[in-house]
Amino acid sequence: MELGDLELANPVMPASGCFGPELAELTPVDTLGAVVTKTVFAQSRPGNRTHRITEVPGGMLNSVGIPSRGTTVFRDSGLGGYAGLGAPVVISIGGLSAQEYWQVVDELGACEHAAVEVNVSCPNLEHGGATLDTDLDAMTHVVSGVVARSTKPVLVKLSPQLHGMAAAARAAQDAGATAVTVCNSFPAMAVNANSRASELGNGTGGLSGPSVKPLALRLVWTAAQAVDIPVVGCGGIGSADDVAEFLIAGATAVQVGTATFAQPDVMPRIIGELPALTERLGAERIADLIGTLTIRSEDWQ
Amino acid sequence: MTAAGVLDVLAGDRSRPRCEQVSVVVNRELSDRYRLLRFRSAAISERARAGQFVMLGPLGRSAPVLPRPMAIYTRDADAGVVDIVYGVVGYGTRALAEMTEGDLLAVTGPLGRGFVIEEGVERVLLVGRGVGICAMTTVAQDLAPTSVQVTAVLSGRNRESVLGQDVLRDCGADVLNVTDANGSSAVDAVRERLVRRFDDDPPQQILTSGSERLTRLAADLGARWNARTLVSVEAHMACGLGYCHGCAVGNGDGATEAPLVCRDGPVFGLRV
Ligand SMILES: Cc1cc2nc3c(=O)[nH]c(=O)nc-3n(C[C@H](O)[C@H](O)[C@H](O)COP(=O)(O)OP(=O)(O)OC[C@H]3O[C@@H](n4cnc5c(N)ncnc54)[C@H](O)[C@@H]3O)c2cc1C
Ligand SMILES: Cc1cc2nc3c(=O)[nH]c(=O)nc-3n(C[C@H](O)[C@H](O)[C@H](O)COP(=O)(O)O)c2cc1C
Ligand code: FES
Repeated sequence: MELGDLELANPVMPASGCFGPELAELTPVDTLGAVVTKTVFAQSRPGNRTHRITEVPGGMLNSVGIPSRGTTVFRDSGLGGYAGLGAPVVISIGGLSAQEYWQVVDELGACEHAAVEVNVSCPNLEHGGATLDTDLDAMTHVVSGVVARSTKPVLVKLSPQLHGMAAAARAAQDAGATAVTVCNSFPAMAVNANSRASELGNGTGGLSGPSVKPLALRLVWTAAQAVDIPVVGCGGIGSADDVAEFLIAGATAVQVGTATFAQPDVMPRIIGELPALTERLGAERIADLIGTLTIRSEDWQ
Repeated sequence: MTAAGVLDVLAGDRSRPRCEQVSVVVNRELSDRYRLLRFRSAAISERARAGQFVMLGPLGRSAPVLPRPMAIYTRDADAGVVDIVYGVVGYGTRALAEMTEGDLLAVTGPLGRGFVIEEGVERVLLVGRGVGICAMTTVAQDLAPTSVQVTAVLSGRNRESVLGQDVLRDCGADVLNVTDANGSSAVDAVRERLVRRFDDDPPQQILTSGSERLTRLAADLGARWNARTLVSVEAHMACGLGYCHGCAVGNGDGATEAPLVCRDGPVFGLRV
């Protein structure tokens, strides 16, 4: 598997914010295709008010709000513990303005990492707080600046744009992205009728987990048809079968998020099951599944 | 910082956690409000320090998406089993209640930094309410073979629903039950009783969990007696390990994040 110059021993990596070096104590993280950091900002940020987590049917909501200790602390602490895990490190970067994204890339400089993933689901203060990728010009501006500054492959992680996915993926490609990650969590909320209050301290949050899988699959399929660069699928993946579904829909690699919380060893397990799955699906190599989706057409009998 | 006092991160160490698929040995009612679940895990029963917790949940497609944090109520390294005691309050704990012997659980633990009883301490006071008591029973287990005197104020709605009485008595603790039913759990009543009992010969450490008002009381008594006071706190969690940042203990100072309950706690130092 390749995402530009980023070579993956297998297609499975964690989703940003759903993994940490702490897991190395529990499970062989060096078997992962890559590791992805929590989104790093230029400056220190406290994150959102509590509660930040709750469960909803078939998924979870989070409004963690990306706390960060800032890029230099991250860089100088062995990439927050990610260096030395034995898998290529993808650094997720965020910012509230184009300058902030670029500052992160500049400050990372030549520190040991394999790729960056631009989290464009952050609110953009230069554009009234809307997420960056709802304004394709603003996203293009940020991404092309990151591409110009970074010597590494640049993944662009898109938010779940139910209508504009094809255009957003194309804009990322045109801005020089190596690959697009599809997609971030889905804006959502949970209401407690008894207290008439939101369950989350931030009011709204992002939905992730099994219930978003069909939504994410469709977005991956849409993106894969719109661009020539690889698509990294993300959303509700928790088993080797899920991985196969995303590859068939057009993903070249996948990210696993929420599933790791209940089963910290889920990714190494999935990776272990891939050879048998590939064989069961009649493919020689797992990569042979990529983009092989056909649309069912059956005549009435 | 909580409404009940200022929290300090303690530098206590932690034991190396494991993630395992384990089978349920027992899952039964303890009272009308609480259930006890026993699972088999040699590693967790051996490694668990007092006040640590596990993240656990049923396995399978229709299982809850997130594991739930639960204090280790007791552990028996010889038998290789761990008990948790839980109240059925929502979706996750209802799913736990439906598990039967032999069903598989995903468990990660032991997690967090627990209660540390300092060298030279002779008297320890535990003040707990409801399921908060479950965070402190392992302290009594550890102190049972020592000469440290443990007094436990256990608070609950009524006599039957006060958790931990048997375990604490078996560990040699002096147990005071206080209940809403007879009015003895009112904070002023508890304060008066403890002041009367301990003012001449106070405990050197106070541990508390399960009630904001009792936490406030523990902080006050800690200041009165110059006793080191520790509290175990709860927060909504996803990972239990420190990487999801779901469990901050408050809203931070505006620039940096507040401590994480799973990584820096759940036991914190408490000051007024
Ligand atoms: C370190 C720690 C130790 C705990 N030990 C015990 C114990 O020994 N016995 C016991 O009965 N309970 C204990 N709890 C509380 C227990 O985790 C919650 O009661 C449980 O998560 C509720 O889940 P639910 O789905 O049934 O409730 P719901 O209200 O349906 O839960 C919705 C969401 O909120 C979270 N949540 C709700 N209440 C709490 C809470 N009080 N603490 C943390 N998360 C919550 C849930 O995990 C879930 O993600 C502990 C909590 C922590 C943090
Ligand atoms: C607790 C939590 C924290 C997250 N933090 C980030 C983050 O910092 N940056 C990011 O790009 N995505 C973040 N995400 C989104 C995930 O990376 C992923 O896109 C989303 O959860 C969907 O995948 P899943 O259903 O497998 O979890 C976070 C998700 C969760 C649940
Ligand atoms: S529960 Fe994930 S950081 Fe504490």
